[in-house]
Amino acid sequence: MTNQTTIHLTINGHQHELEIEPRVTLLDALRDHLGLTGTKKGCDQGQCGACTVHVDGQRVLACLTLAAQVEGRAVTTIEGLAEADGTLHAVQAAFLEQDAFQCGYCTPGQIMSAVACIREGHAGSDDEIREYMAGNLCRCGAYPHIVAAVRQAATEVAS
Amino acid sequence: MTVHITRHGDASDGTEAVGSRLSRVDGPAKITGAAKYAVEQQLDGLAYAVLIESTIAAGKVRSIDTEAAEAAPGVLTVLTPDNIPPLKTASDWLGTPPPDAPYCPLAREITFSGQHVAAVVAETFEQAVAAAALAQVSYDEVPAIVDLSDGNAGDGIPIDAMTKAWGDAEAAFAAAPVRICAAYNTPREYQAPMEPHGLIARWQGDQLTVWEPSQWLDGMARTYAEWFGVPFENVRLVSPYIGGGFGSKALALGHGAVAAIAARMLDRPVRLVMTRPQTFTGYGGRAATRQTVTIGADADGIIQSIVHRGVNETSIDGMWVEPLGSTTSIMYATPNFSSRQNVVRVNSVVPGAMRAPGENPSAFGIESAIDELAYEVGVDPLEIRLRNYAEQDPHAKKAWSTRQLREAYAAGAERFGWSKRSPKPRSMRDGNQLIGWGVAAGTYPVRRAYGEAMVRILADGSVEVESSSIDMGQGTYTILAQTAAETLGVPADNVVVKLGDSRFARAGVTGGSRLAGVMTGAVHKAASAALDELVGLAISDPRSPFHALQANTLVVTNGRITSPRGEGPEVSIAELLASVGRDRIEAKGDTMPANSTAEERYKNYTTIAMALPHTEGDYSRYSWCAHFIEVRVDEDFGTVRVSRVVSALDSGRLYNPKLAESQWKGGIIMGIGQALLEEGIVDRRHGRIVNNNLADYLVPTNADIPDIEVISVGIPDPHSSVLGGKGVGELAIVGVAPAIANAVFHATGKRIRDLPITLEKLI
Ligand code: FES
Ligand code: FES
Repeated sequence: MTNQTTIHLTINGHQHELEIEPRVTLLDALRDHLGLTGTKKGCDQGQCGACTVHVDGQRVLACLTLAAQVEGRAVTTIEGLAEADGTLHAVQAAFLEQDAFQCGYCTPGQIMSAVACIREGHAGSDDEIREYMAGNLCRCGAYPHIVAAVRQAATEVAS
Repeated sequence: MTVHITRHGDASDGTEAVGSRLSRVDGPAKITGAAKYAVEQQLDGLAYAVLIESTIAAGKVRSIDTEAAEAAPGVLTVLTPDNIPPLKTASDWLGTPPPDAPYCPLAREITFSGQHVAAVVAETFEQAVAAAALAQVSYDEVPAIVDLSDGNAGDGIPIDAMTKAWGDAEAAFAAAPVRICAAYNTPREYQAPMEPHGLIARWQGDQLTVWEPSQWLDGMARTYAEWFGVPFENVRLVSPYIGGGFGSKALALGHGAVAAIAARMLDRPVRLVMTRPQTFTGYGGRAATRQTVTIGADADGIIQSIVHRGVNETSIDGMWVEPLGSTTSIMYATPNFSSRQNVVRVNSVVPGAMRAPGENPSAFGIESAIDELAYEVGVDPLEIRLRNYAEQDPHAKKAWSTRQLREAYAAGAERFGWSKRSPKPRSMRDGNQLIGWGVAAGTYPVRRAYGEAMVRILADGSVEVESSSIDMGQGTYTILAQTAAETLGVPADNVVVKLGDSRFARAGVTGGSRLAGVMTGAVHKAASAALDELVGLAISDPRSPFHALQANTLVVTNGRITSPRGEGPEVSIAELLASVGRDRIEAKGDTMPANSTAEERYKNYTTIAMALPHTEGDYSRYSWCAHFIEVRVDEDFGTVRVSRVVSALDSGRLYNPKLAESQWKGGIIMGIGQALLEEGIVDRRHGRIVNNNLADYLVPTNADIPDIEVISVGIPDPHSSVLGGKGVGELAIVGVAPAIANAVFHATGKRIRDLPITLEKLI
């Protein structure tokens, strides 16, 4: 192997040291090097949102981010969203209750986007949710249920 | 000993039996990221393959210069047609014996742009991607036929099997007082599941394991086995979750052969995942279609004749027939009918199945045409459908098993408020938005087949169900847990369903909306056999606490066994098994005829040749739906938005309404994409799909979709499946595009007969 570099990543509160090429994306670092396959690869070109993770609390497309860019920053993936004891995040629970997915492949990205959407204050109405969730494609067509889940979780988070 | 059991589900809270709204049992894994999809298996020594594809649409590969790629860091091998071992040609999905000819998944003869010509395998994904860019392929190019409208495309090949005719349609049309005739076109469309196609292949000796998203493990295992000349049993397909298929993941494809060859040559597991652009040419989407529909009617709009002609594209060396007369021939009563179809060869990948192949474009034709007839004779578009209601299957001349279409029209119209519709086009508006209301019907045949399942009652009283069928989001895990729970009398959360491994009890293809009906029947049968054995043991084993009771039967409720009259003990399944010294009860059930041979069973699960015709016996079996859709068209810009959808659907009995509603809505949303957004655009110079990515091939986003209301009007259909369901997955897309086109006409007075309905067609 060529041109390896050592990268320190903080993922879901855990420290990881990786020997990887600098061109490795955050998405491939997560999926192929750390075995964190909850973050999905739908297009690898920034068009589908399946790879959405949080970097310092902001939603980011992991396929358009190099792993090296997030050194020293806090990365949260779908695996780190529930409490340590397994208690689901309000958004996760709402997705299950509202049946806001079918195949589940877009779902981690949708959930990470939804958590940020609520935090950003963009879940004020159904139309606002639709607009601010529009970067996450769902070919199974779970959109109406995703809107319902985000609406439900936003209410729960606020209360 | 005969044991008759009358037992129903976990009635204690009524939430888990078949027909209840149990949440997805695979949901927790999917919302926490724990669900491992096929290519996410972490294997030691994994190598990464990347495909190289043709950049011309017709011609030959003159040479492939692999020197720089081979010298690139980390590269293990570069595969070309010249250095890979030939495979054997595999049989098709009907099981037709193949020609005794070699099969090479890397092409020398190019028949479409995007054909696999080479592959690079490297230690890392990044190295493989970088090296693939260094391979130089040169071609001898010849002119291509880029699509159906190409001057050299011709009229194509008549497909006699598609011809349907009764009466004298042409004469009746000529004599009819009202005549309409129009041409309707649909473009290439793509399934675009969010999970790209790909696989991991690993050989251990002559045993091949393939982790691959699959709608048909046994069918794909058969193909891999035939390609490599190994016994079927030597190939294991694993596909625990599938990130969407929509028809595209049912067959083993060339890229799978490439990965399996690489794994064998390198003696290492190899992962190959298509890039998103490659998914537009690595397998076929929906073929582009052309139809003409002529309807002759009397002055009241009663149809006298339908003449239908259809054309779909196929590839240069493959055959795909999109049955365009399928909905046309059954939706309305007509004394005279004629439908014929040709296919035209163009330089494209062979098209494939996409959600309701045939019925979907067919419905765009007939459901637009009947709307045109309604305006022609001045009758409400809903009323004209009722006037021409088919009381029996007009083609098969058989009674419908069940047809709740009249009920669907009534329920949908009522909920939508159809009676408030102003009939004239351009007569409803909100500011500069023209409002249109459209209606259209849809249908899909009930495809039936035989199924097999394993049910085990374990020592702790829990239940295991195994099947090589799959769950790509339809809810198989959940409804099979519900079926086993109801049949055995245990809570659904005591049932573990294991799917997606070809080592489990066999299953046929998950396609044509058949899986739920097939598999609930198989699980019901296996679970009934397991229950018979359990109760038999409880009654007759001398060690059983029920032995002294001399009962004929016992009841199992909520995992506990009692006598129906309430006398004697009450014990849990676990206690009963312990008392009779058993650690499990195991029953494999299949719904095939009892005297079926091993060969017939193999054929049933690995081909589609044994599927049961939907018009078998005395009945014609279909699912039905009616869509009521409101659009808003910006008068200045011609932009169309769907603002309201009410659909009433007859899928027979629903095994889980919560999940069925999701699938219906998903179909409707894909139909909105088809109506307004989706179109593969061909570069006429190079025969390439230029919008081969998710930013340019537009699929609906959340912001494109309004609230959608679905209403179930189905009733149990005993002729369609063991538990009374018909089909769910494909039905709901059928009729959405014409409902939208009809709404757009109502809004604007413009009839759009070419999908998608984009703004330049309206201004
Ligand atoms: S995989 Fe990153 S946006 Fe699609
Ligand atoms: S759930 Fe399948 S793509 Fe969204």
